[in-house]
Amino acid sequence: MSGFTGNLARTAALALRMLVRTKVRATLSILGIAVATFLLCAERAVQDGVREATEASARDTRLIVYRANRFCPFTSRIPERYADEIAAMPGVASAVPMQIVVSNCRASLDVVVFRGVRAEDAERTLAPRLRFIEGSLRDFLARGDGALVGSALAERRRLKVGDRFGSAGVTVTVAGIVEADGPQDRNACFVPLPFLQSSMGGVQGGIVTQVEVEIAEPGTLDRIAAEIDARFAGDAAPTSTRSEKAFAARAAEDLVAIAGFARLLGAGALAAIFALVANALILSLEGRSRDLAVLQAVGFGGRAIAWTIIVEAAALAAVGAAIGAGCAQLALAFGDLSLGAEGVLVEFRPSIASAIGATLAAALVGLCAGSVPAIIAARRSIAEGMRAA
Amino acid sequence: MSEAFIRCEKLTKVYRKGDQEIVPIRDLDLEIARGAFVSLMGPSGSGKTTLLNLLAGIDSPTRGALHIGSNDLARLSRGALAAWRSREVGIVFQSYNLVPVLTAFENVELPLLLQPLSRAERARRAMEALDTVGLGDRASHFPSQLSGGQEQRVAIARAIVARPPLLLADEPTGDLDRESAELVLALLASLHRDRGTTIVMVTHDPEAAARADTLLHLDKGRLAARESRGAEAAR
Repeated sequence: MSGFTGNLARTAALALRMLVRTKVRATLSILGIAVATFLLCAERAVQDGVREATEASARDTRLIVYRANRFCPFTSRIPERYADEIAAMPGVASAVPMQIVVSNCRASLDVVVFRGVRAEDAERTLAPRLRFIEGSLRDFLARGDGALVGSALAERRRLKVGDRFGSAGVTVTVAGIVEADGPQDRNACFVPLPFLQSSMGGVQGGIVTQVEVEIAEPGTLDRIAAEIDARFAGDAAPTSTRSEKAFAARAAEDLVAIAGFARLLGAGALAAIFALVANALILSLEGRSRDLAVLQAVGFGGRAIAWTIIVEAAALAAVGAAIGAGCAQLALAFGDLSLGAEGVLVEFRPSIASAIGATLAAALVGLCAGSVPAIIAARRSIAEGMRAA
Repeated sequence: MSEAFIRCEKLTKVYRKGDQEIVPIRDLDLEIARGAFVSLMGPSGSGKTTLLNLLAGIDSPTRGALHIGSNDLARLSRGALAAWRSREVGIVFQSYNLVPVLTAFENVELPLLLQPLSRAERARRAMEALDTVGLGDRASHFPSQLSGGQEQRVAIARAIVARPPLLLADEPTGDLDRESAELVLALLASLHRDRGTTIVMVTHDPEAAARADTLLHLDKGRLAARESRGAEAAR
């Protein structure tokens, strides 16, 4: 190790030793930073969830056909036969009519979305995109009130196969727990269409909320959506067709607005980290002015003094950020949090990339916050330091 | 006569406090030989501590020249002064100024952190310095677990651990009882005698001052009198 790097390493070790031995100050600072980083990670999870639910990609192949000028599952009603007509259109791989019943139309943290599907659609279209964790499709088809429960909803409600649960006036028996790639499927409760239609007394058979359309070729979404709407424009129930992501973005406008607000919270969390680290170090400088003057007196130069402060700031920020990010990961992993609005669900899931990003951002901000006290300490004369003590 | 180790020429220090000008050291001419043990005495405000701070490179002169060894301190940058202090000067303060969160050993080791020494060599030298002041068995104690006299001896160990040729002590016995003060003074005398360390000690105590071979009396920032005992070490 060269003289310069050796000096850096030895003074860094000294700074960490001194920090570890001021337990109360260090612990309080680290806790504050951890809380701020927790908020930052939560904000990142909100952004990720909204992005996953609403951000379109060139690979998207799913359209949602809704009743024109209707925005809520309770008011969108279209004939079930539309699905067969759409399925016959060129470029369409499948069309699944669905009855949607939600426990709460407004933005809520615990929304149950029932999706009524026909038995043949469950076999042909639904089963291939779901992975069974418990139960089977046969069990589902064998029961009139059977339900395939998405993994996120099952964890949130602590459901297992054989359980009965009810919401929004619908009571079902869990026939399977399923995993899926998309947040809407992971949070849904699929039930037989006739059962759901009869459970909702006011809704007659032959009427559904929406048709879920899979197209054969990515990139033809807009064209096929326009063709579907044109086909039913003169019908008694005209349609409005959008990609699933665009549909989610419109239906979940409230959630997108919440995510925008969460971005402010994220910025606030970073500002809090800056203020906490800067405050902790400036207060510590005042309390340790004599110690720092002593270090100068025994030969520590301004750069070495600044380095000890920077190391201290980086250590506080890194440890606080790591704890905050770790707690956020655990809370998100075990909390199974999701926010629903008008039948669209946004999941808040832990993400290693977001946790690392938040930790790095927090550590970087902490490091910047330490630079000002470091400069102050480096420029303070020994005599000033001794007098200030 | 020995060659001068410390040489002050027309040394002046001026502080400004608002419109007021304070001149604790005024046109001071002084030479101190290498290996001398000098006591600085004088009434409060006579400039003793200011002179010590100038000699330590803690403060910089307003005017005049200050040479220590081959270095002109007035011309050294802050960084160069810090590096010079780490090699050439040990400082003992009246109030010990040990870092409270570090053990006696770690306090003593501090000046060595700036030198390219292995951990084992640092440990060996720090323990040697603690043994020199008779506190080898207190290495793992924190300052709060030591008596005042022990704290001051740890401070002396810290001041000598880098084996500097110059030791500056500001009222090193000022806060100590008679017994502890005796121990500290005996320690300084043995460092002077056995290692040839040049020592400049500020003190109000005539008994402490009597340990030195030269007494310098400052008054209003000027050298008012000097007394030499034995070899003439200061002029």
